[in-house]
Amino acid sequence: MSLSRREFLKSSAAASAAAAIGMTIPSEVQAQADDVENSWRWDKAACRFCGTGCGIMMATKNGKIVAVKGDPAAPVNRGLNCIKGYFNAKIMYGADRLTQPLLRVDANGNFDKQGKFAPISWERAFDEMELNIKKALKASGPEGVGVFASGQYTVMEGYAAQKMMKGGFRSNAIDPNARHCMASAVVGFYQTFGIDEPSGCYDDIELTDTIVSWGSNMAEMHPILWSRVTDRKLSDPDRVKVINMSTYRHRTSDLADIEIIFSPNTDLALWNYIAREIVYNNPESIDWDFVKKHIVFAASPVNLGYGLRKEGEKSLTPVNPDGSAGNYTALEMEIINKEMKKVVSAKEAPALKPYGYKEGDVMVNKDAGLAHWEISFDEYKKFLEPYTLDYVATISKGNPDEDINEFKKKLQTLADLYIEKGRKVVSFWTMGMNQHTRGTWVNTLSYNVHFLLNKQAIPGSGAFSLTGQPSACGTAREVGTFCHRLPADMMVANPKHREITENRWKVPAGTLNHIGNQHIMKIHRDIEDGVIKFAWVNVCNPYQDTASASHWIKAAREMDNFIVTSDGYPGISAKVSDLILPSAMIYEKWGAYGNAERRTQLWRQQVLPVGDAMSDTWQWVELSKRFTVKDVWGAQPLRGKDANGKPNSLPSVIDQAKAMGYTEDTTMYEILFANKEAKSYKIDLNSFPQQGYDNSECNGDSRNVVGSDGKVFKGYGFMIHEYLFEEYASFGRGHGHDLAPFTTYHKVRGLKWPVVDGKETQWRFNSKYDPYAAKETKESGNSHAFYGTLAKALPYGDLMGVKKAEKTGLANKAKIFARPYMDPPEMPDERYPVWLSTGRVLEHWHSGTMTMRVPELYRAVPEALCYMHPEDAKTYDVKQGELCWVESRRGKVKARVETRGRNRPSRGLVFVPWFDEKVFINKVCLDATCPQSKQTDFKKCAVKIYKA
Amino acid sequence: MKTISKLTIGLAVAAILFIGCNDSAVPAKEVQKPTPTISEESLGLRKTDLYSEKGTTAEKTNYSSSYAGSGNKFKRAFQDAPPMIPHDTDGMLPITINDNQCIGCHMPDVAEGVGATPIPSSHFLDMRPHHQFDGKTFSKAVDNMKNETSIKSTGDKLAGARFNCSQCHAPQSSGQLVKNNFEADFTDKDGASKSSWKGSKLMEGLDTINQK
Repeated sequence: MSLSRREFLKSSAAASAAAAIGMTIPSEVQAQADDVENSWRWDKAACRFCGTGCGIMMATKNGKIVAVKGDPAAPVNRGLNCIKGYFNAKIMYGADRLTQPLLRVDANGNFDKQGKFAPISWERAFDEMELNIKKALKASGPEGVGVFASGQYTVMEGYAAQKMMKGGFRSNAIDPNARHCMASAVVGFYQTFGIDEPSGCYDDIELTDTIVSWGSNMAEMHPILWSRVTDRKLSDPDRVKVINMSTYRHRTSDLADIEIIFSPNTDLALWNYIAREIVYNNPESIDWDFVKKHIVFAASPVNLGYGLRKEGEKSLTPVNPDGSAGNYTALEMEIINKEMKKVVSAKEAPALKPYGYKEGDVMVNKDAGLAHWEISFDEYKKFLEPYTLDYVATISKGNPDEDINEFKKKLQTLADLYIEKGRKVVSFWTMGMNQHTRGTWVNTLSYNVHFLLNKQAIPGSGAFSLTGQPSACGTAREVGTFCHRLPADMMVANPKHREITENRWKVPAGTLNHIGNQHIMKIHRDIEDGVIKFAWVNVCNPYQDTASASHWIKAAREMDNFIVTSDGYPGISAKVSDLILPSAMIYEKWGAYGNAERRTQLWRQQVLPVGDAMSDTWQWVELSKRFTVKDVWGAQPLRGKDANGKPNSLPSVIDQAKAMGYTEDTTMYEILFANKEAKSYKIDLNSFPQQGYDNSECNGDSRNVVGSDGKVFKGYGFMIHEYLFEEYASFGRGHGHDLAPFTTYHKVRGLKWPVVDGKETQWRFNSKYDPYAAKETKESGNSHAFYGTLAKALPYGDLMGVKKAEKTGLANKAKIFARPYMDPPEMPDERYPVWLSTGRVLEHWHSGTMTMRVPELYRAVPEALCYMHPEDAKTYDVKQGELCWVESRRGKVKARVETRGRNRPSRGLVFVPWFDEKVFINKVCLDATCPQSKQTDFKKCAVKIYKA
Repeated sequence: MKTISKLTIGLAVAAILFIGCNDSAVPAKEVQKPTPTISEESLGLRKTDLYSEKGTTAEKTNYSSSYAGSGNKFKRAFQDAPPMIPHDTDGMLPITINDNQCIGCHMPDVAEGVGATPIPSSHFLDMRPHHQFDGKTFSKAVDNMKNETSIKSTGDKLAGARFNCSQCHAPQSSGQLVKNNFEADFTDKDGASKSSWKGSKLMEGLDTINQK
């Protein structure tokens, strides 16, 4: 029996609800309960935490949040939340909320980098920011001003930050923590589909027969999606198969039919093994009609390094006789040197044979960028040849105590399930495949298997990248708050894209910076090299969440720079900053998030912020008042040289600005945020959705916060949230990213873009479900159109390189890539014999700044444990519940040993989560990245374990 | 839709305005000359030197060792918040497809007899509309532009979506790092100890379509 909301409303609420769910409720009890709750105000909102993007219902009373319940109307989670989701109720009420700006000062009240913190006014805070940004621009040009951005920004915050950074300061040094979280998925999407974001949606879970989780502990990290998987499994236990592919046993294994524990990085080999099974042993399973119409094969260079620091960089000089270099010890350099060249190992040699390498060869690494070229199917087949069951099982078996024949059987079953005709298969992955020094590669390999079998972008089947953060998709990716991106999949390097953006932002032609290479690791490294002199942390915690952390906290404190952190609570980033700003937290502001299934969700401000806290949008808009045309739009130097050997630079655009009607003294506020268009979005307190809700940025509020000019802030007087959202949305409408109007999102529980003619899109690229694909296939009648436009003309060659430079277009086609197994740069050896993997736990979010302040969540998991195998504990002479040191070439931390917990690694691997400030595990991790996506590999480095 | 007067909100916020960093009172308005009083170490959860790990250890986990059925219960965080696990879970986890030990004691028909908190009626509902796909055509079971819901009883069978008890319910260590100023508003007189979940409560406040 099902009941629509409308039917429900027609009838008497309590009685019909009780009837609908088959329950009887004594009427007098019912009336009583409802009376009390009448003083509550319920409203819908989005959960603050992971990329699942659950809806919540939030109750407020007297301006405070009093309860949260699951939302039965929310399509993602249908009335259920996880433990973190419910405790959204408490996250804003930790007693040490930041309530005022804090500046390091000396006894005279002047800024002093070595000083303690003192409370200051917002006006003083913006004075200091203005002064230090101007100093940084003078010292290093636009590349000297950096922002640590976030996949937890609201859409409006990210858009405001991006506009001021790229349009105002002409700096592309804005990059989100999402770089650490799904950059490899993004480059995988770009290279495969020519456009970002997944083809499928969560409804695939209920429609599929097979769920394969690759490097993703869904049970803890996406608990609500896991509850859907569980529900599906229990509904048809014989037909539905769940397979967990992981480097250690965790909760996702608990419900799995098959668990495959593989050696770190060998997921590359496993995907190629499945592809080889298809191509060599089950060629009849290839849907050639689909492949010929929709797919080309492609290859790329293999000697591209590991995203580590490179020879000659300032902090790596001078190189000393003892092997140390600049700020890096000889031990650290043992690994960093592999960035320049490495020796091919026995483990990877068979996979690299088709590329002309053999064991013992020295591979000289080069910056290969994103280059790739088309190859023939025969060449792809040649590439797959090495991935026999024997080879792959030998290198990938991750549990030394497992029988090799048992392991082989499991691999064979895995391949058979993918191949089985008529069996629908979904492959999910998260950080295991993204945080990977070949993350881009392994992402593309997943689509290979699904494409060959025509099991991609159809109901119930597809490879689907799960996202970590609540708006990594919505804000980081779709808004484009990356150093190289602009809204709606546009790129700073593309002159046409810059022109479109400049026109839309009403800034002069030539304003935007064409060089976007300051990704989040580069921002840290540029601070250490003394290039970035001003950095602002927004909605993230880069000084806790970045590998090789000791270098970055030292650079923040000891170099000549000015670091600002905006946050709700003082985390490690705040501690190492010079200025700390109190930010309004999630339900203290209007906002929008976009989840992993392309669902955009909006919410209203539920309560006023604490103290003098204000939203990050407000902080950016206030900062923009401090900068005029003449401050930021004159000629600016950039690092490096262009193709003609001339030093890179940005021209002055002041004359063009004047021609547009601006003066030298027009502020960025007037141009970017309070322009004529912005003011057309009216305050209307008598209509939905504004009626009855606070709006601190637009109207000020009863706190009478003294603002950036020393006067009580009374609001902008126009609906800035709607303006920012609608202007951002205008980039994507008509270009495959269509969003519905602002007000619609306040009525419904989110919609999956593209939203065309008021309808969301379930399966992208499928001409039955995606209007853009339907348009592209009108003449051909093809089932799919992979209509993304990036890298859609390729030269032709073989595995070794390009043979014909002339490019061929591949409109509406996707790519299958030849990409081999390779070792990560650091692997266990005699001195550091154990793999270290890091990650999250269910009860805590990222660095724990919010969840460690919720008593129930803190008490659930009060400390980060070092999970290990009982035999390893014996080997390293450490005991359950006692402290051990976890030490790498870069640093060490203490943690308690857990041999019986939720994570149960095989011998040779330990897992330590990173939420705990007191177990600062990122001091131990290596800052190697995928050289293409620049995403750090937090899942692999080598450590030793000993008693503390 | 009820509105809350600005005055009430103002009063509520005024009350928390004086909660500063470091749990010590920081004046709400800037003093004339900023004085350096707050050390880096005093901020945040780690009160030790950030640049060395020698003197830093995590808080030790100390879960309750009382046995299941001993009658201890934690107060709920707010009305209908998921209850936390008051007993030792050693040997009860992990939950696997064939072995969910929580159900053994917490199913409503046995819970009372063994002194366990009964699984409430919300856990015996399937709230997910089942969209149809016959291999050719996909059709949605509800219209999400109208916020339609679909709620069906699962009878006496625990809803499949609620099978992973540990995704909402967790054991509790002792202690607390930072005070939390959240205040529950129990609408039921025994809301701190019991689920008051009822049919209309689930649906209350959901309507965002018909708001003007």
